[in-house]
Amino acid sequence: MFSTSGSYSVVARSMLNGALLALRELAEAECGVALEPIVVNPSGDLARYRTLSLELLGDGIRHVVGCYTSSSRKEVIPCFEKFDSLLWYPSHYEGFESSDNVIYTGAAPNQHVLPLVDYLASRVGRRAFCVGSNYIWAWENNRIFREALAVRGGTVVAERYLPVGETEFDQVIGAIIDQRPDFVFNNLIGTSAYAFFRAFRTACRARGIDQVTDIPVASCTLSEPELAEIGPDAIDGHLTSSVYFSSLDSPANAAFIEAYARAFPNGPISSADAEASYIAVKLLAAALEQAGTEDSRAVRAAVANQRLAAPQGEVRIDPQTYHAWLTPRIARSARNGQFEVLLEARSPVGPDPYLVQSSPRFAVAMRGPALKVVRS
Amino acid sequence: MTFRLLQNFKGGRAIIVAKCSTREVALETTLSKLGVSSEYPDIVGGRVQIDVARLQVERDILFIDGDLESAVVIEVDPASRLPPVPVIGLVGVEAPSRLKALVNLGATSFLRKPVHGGAVYTSLFMGINQFLLRSEMYRRLHDLEERRRGRRALVRAIICLMKSGLDEDAAYSWLRRESMRARQNLEFYCEEFLSGRAKSPDDFHRTNGVELQGGNKRAM
Repeated sequence: MFSTSGSYSVVARSMLNGALLALRELAEAECGVALEPIVVNPSGDLARYRTLSLELLGDGIRHVVGCYTSSSRKEVIPCFEKFDSLLWYPSHYEGFESSDNVIYTGAAPNQHVLPLVDYLASRVGRRAFCVGSNYIWAWENNRIFREALAVRGGTVVAERYLPVGETEFDQVIGAIIDQRPDFVFNNLIGTSAYAFFRAFRTACRARGIDQVTDIPVASCTLSEPELAEIGPDAIDGHLTSSVYFSSLDSPANAAFIEAYARAFPNGPISSADAEASYIAVKLLAAALEQAGTEDSRAVRAAVANQRLAAPQGEVRIDPQTYHAWLTPRIARSARNGQFEVLLEARSPVGPDPYLVQSSPRFAVAMRGPALKVVRS
Repeated sequence: MTFRLLQNFKGGRAIIVAKCSTREVALETTLSKLGVSSEYPDIVGGRVQIDVARLQVERDILFIDGDLESAVVIEVDPASRLPPVPVIGLVGVEAPSRLKALVNLGATSFLRKPVHGGAVYTSLFMGINQFLLRSEMYRRLHDLEERRRGRRALVRAIICLMKSGLDEDAAYSWLRRESMRARQNLEFYCEEFLSGRAKSPDDFHRTNGVELQGGNKRAM
């Protein structure tokens, strides 16, 4: 269930491709289970997500791989709980959720935003300007970012939220250039993000600002097919925190990239969310085979501790949270439309969706200046 | 002191007062994801065996099944109506008398039985933070009550100083300045002043530094 049309369709189409590639490989390998995909497209419409989920589950389907936005996932979870079925959610998200009816194969916040805060605070600067699409992903990811940055002595100079699909950024960009933060933390998604990257680069260039050096943009969402959408004028120099980049140098990833390109020559090219969808289908098949039934509780029990040699490295499911152990990485986009990996964890990192291990006990309030001068 | 929002419950201990035969598995499982351990104290003769004096406000949370008849007897502060640690009510029979019993135990949040995992974080978050907020509000209320009681001493101290020739504003300013100098709140300082433990304006003039002539510094 992927929105292959609508404002974030580029990523969703790469996710569908990732899932279909896994199904194709499973069929070719003649694994112990035969999976027949039914593909539906909610077109980014929240009400459609719910209607389609109820239709699929009402027809007896017990396992759905899908959703990209957190708002869509939260919209359909009650349906999966009602039918006691499993949603295999293959995207990074903001955490603070652990439904018994969801298997999370994308990154939790301790695997994307916290490593990014560490990188930015130690190597880029401590004054951030946050922009995001106006829904739970940006609100919560910015909150986690703000609190983590405050602990490291940094500040968020402003936060701006715009509707999903908004492409008019003159006012926000004017505010960013006025504030001159050390970097922009971007939680815009889909067409909004592509428009922002283009307009911000153009505005900086017009004012003689070297955007990549002076005000870099950092994200937890930006992926390879989206770099292509941004276009050549503003494609390079963007920082991204993710658990997968298609430039990873490993035999497993080389095989994945080659198979993906052969299967989908018309794109969109692979992405972290495509890999997470690929992983979700592979784990689903392994769990179905082990369980010997499609019953959701049996499959859920069987997926715990499943290990997979994924394109990003070893992935396994944590039996307590049903989130995945993944390998965090920080990369910078290059003119060739790929990411150059700057840093990576030595081994897979356990999921901490509630940030139990990695956040302070009490909420951190951003400190104001010790002395404020007011002109009267 | 200002209220601080608790958002990471790691290291917490949930004491679940419910019959072991009706263990709330979803509650325990979700609490464990949140870094909170669970314990079921024994219920003997209809009474739960908890040493209330050993409960730790920084660590413990009581989950009390409202369907147990008078199983828990805990000391609720009569003034603040707060229990010693946060209490979250487990609601089965949704009857006013049972809800009232949980409110009387100081419950600041509720969970319907059977517990749904997706509701636990919200309930824990609300229960603990409402408890902390109410505790902080009670502390402030208590402080304001103390100060209100002390206003009588302030009025008497002002009248006392006015008898020695100061006008009302000057008397108040003098008391306020001296209370700040003594690092005491105004009302407490006035009580000290009236009982003769604090210095009078005359003392102040006598003990104050000597102005050096022709210099810029005051001798201490």
